[in-house]
Amino acid sequence: MNAINQILSWIPSLLNATGVTLLLTVCSVCAALVLSVFLALGKISRFQPLSKLAGAYIFFFRGTPLLMQLFFIYYTLPMLVPALTINSRFLAAFVAFSLNVAAYLAEIIRAAIQSIDKGQMEAGKSLGLSYGQAMRLVIIPQAYKRMIPPICNEFVMVLKDTSLVSIIALTDLTFQTKIIAANKASSLVYIPAMLIYLVMTALFTVIFDRLEKKLSVYE
Amino acid sequence: MPIIETIDLCKSFGQLEVLKDVSLSVEQGEVVVILGPSGAGKSTYLRSLNELETITSGKILIGGELLDERRGGHSLVKLTPEQRTQILLRMGMVFQRFNLFPHKTAAENIMLAPVNVKGIKEALAREQALDLLNKVGLADKADEYPARLSGGQQQRVAIARALAMEPQIMLFDEPTSALDPELVGDVLTVMKDLAQSGITMLVVTHEMGFAREAADRVVFMCDGTISEESSPDEFFTNPQNPRARQFLNSIL
Ligand SMILES: Nc1ncnc2c1ncn2[C@@H]1O[C@H](COP(=O)(O)OP(=O)(O)O)[C@@H](O)[C@H]1O
Ligand SMILES: [Mg+2]
Repeated sequence: MNAINQILSWIPSLLNATGVTLLLTVCSVCAALVLSVFLALGKISRFQPLSKLAGAYIFFFRGTPLLMQLFFIYYTLPMLVPALTINSRFLAAFVAFSLNVAAYLAEIIRAAIQSIDKGQMEAGKSLGLSYGQAMRLVIIPQAYKRMIPPICNEFVMVLKDTSLVSIIALTDLTFQTKIIAANKASSLVYIPAMLIYLVMTALFTVIFDRLEKKLSVYE
Repeated sequence: MPIIETIDLCKSFGQLEVLKDVSLSVEQGEVVVILGPSGAGKSTYLRSLNELETITSGKILIGGELLDERRGGHSLVKLTPEQRTQILLRMGMVFQRFNLFPHKTAAENIMLAPVNVKGIKEALAREQALDLLNKVGLADKADEYPARLSGGQQQRVAIARALAMEPQIMLFDEPTSALDPELVGDVLTVMKDLAQSGITMLVVTHEMGFAREAADRVVFMCDGTISEESSPDEFFTNPQNPRARQFLNSIL
């Protein structure tokens, strides 16, 4: 009973920190989505320099550990370019996650666009649509339904990955858990913390499943 | 003046020479059927005309205007995108696999290009779409999605969609090859009506009945070259080229 009371007493501060975790996840994924659309369109563009540039970006951010990227942005960048110093831990984490997640989302979006039958673009062109018009009116409206499931999946991954930010001492759910564990000398705190993560991922999974069902109506 | 003229058209995919010096002229209002075995380069030829494929060398004139001229893969003509679109819009294309837009209804498929390319008002475009659907015998299917139409119906919507841009030339690439046999007739009927209407047609097909009835001229293509060009009567009764004879025997 004592243990349960103890755990319950930690809940308010854990929930407070959960807000940071959620805010970071939602903000990063939203920013990443915007950036990833440009990256994906750049990568499939027939204009080689653009395609190469987007390809290099994606290769770099998927090919190096997220933790290193976080360190780089928070510690290394200010050394190299003082003007790019980010004092706010939250902002640094947000930038690192946005840049990283954008690379993964770009690949999801690119794959979805390229999964659309080539005949669709050809039909569009044969009707006089420009490349941009065909993308906007024909390809993307079909592709976006195929992007939703993997994007939702990515969101849940990011939600868990944000626990990395505890390393730069941003008070997210994981960092708050570590503080409690250290101060109270009790590792019990990991139990409610993990449960909170679990509830969040379960919640989002259910919401996203609903969304997917709604969107797949006429395919 | 021919409405389509290609001079020494060549097209290679890497090392593979698919079209070898194909020269062909089609007069306004003519219905030309292209026959030939699979792999002859028929699709590639049609697709080169509306620039779905880029030719390696040769010359393409549409309505007397130079659309493309290339030597060794390099273009010798500089058209602005507007000029190019202007010429390309004289041609409509119908594909073997229909390629309707699955997220749009039949009417929306037809309206899409008139509204977005020509800037026609939605209401007017819809009116025209309904007219066209009526012409291809699908007046009652305007608000159906392609997935709910049979192959034959989809192909007729695709024909209506191409016609909505009011092309002078219609290119058909095996329009009935993907259809169940019982659905072929409806599509051919629409095509025959179209042939009567005076529009210029270039049709790749294996439907010999259509070639006999509707074609003004038959072009036999084989190994990337045109090996025979004659009237349907002559072609079907007395083909000159041995490969054409062989082809006719294999098909009949
Ligand atoms: N995109 C392509 N890449 C490489 N080879 C192609 C491509 N398209 C067609 N070919 C080849 O070109 C030849 C002619 O093809 P095609 O024009 O489709 O013939 P047809 O329509 O007469 O059956 C075939 O050998 C085919 O494999
Ligand atoms: Mg073909």
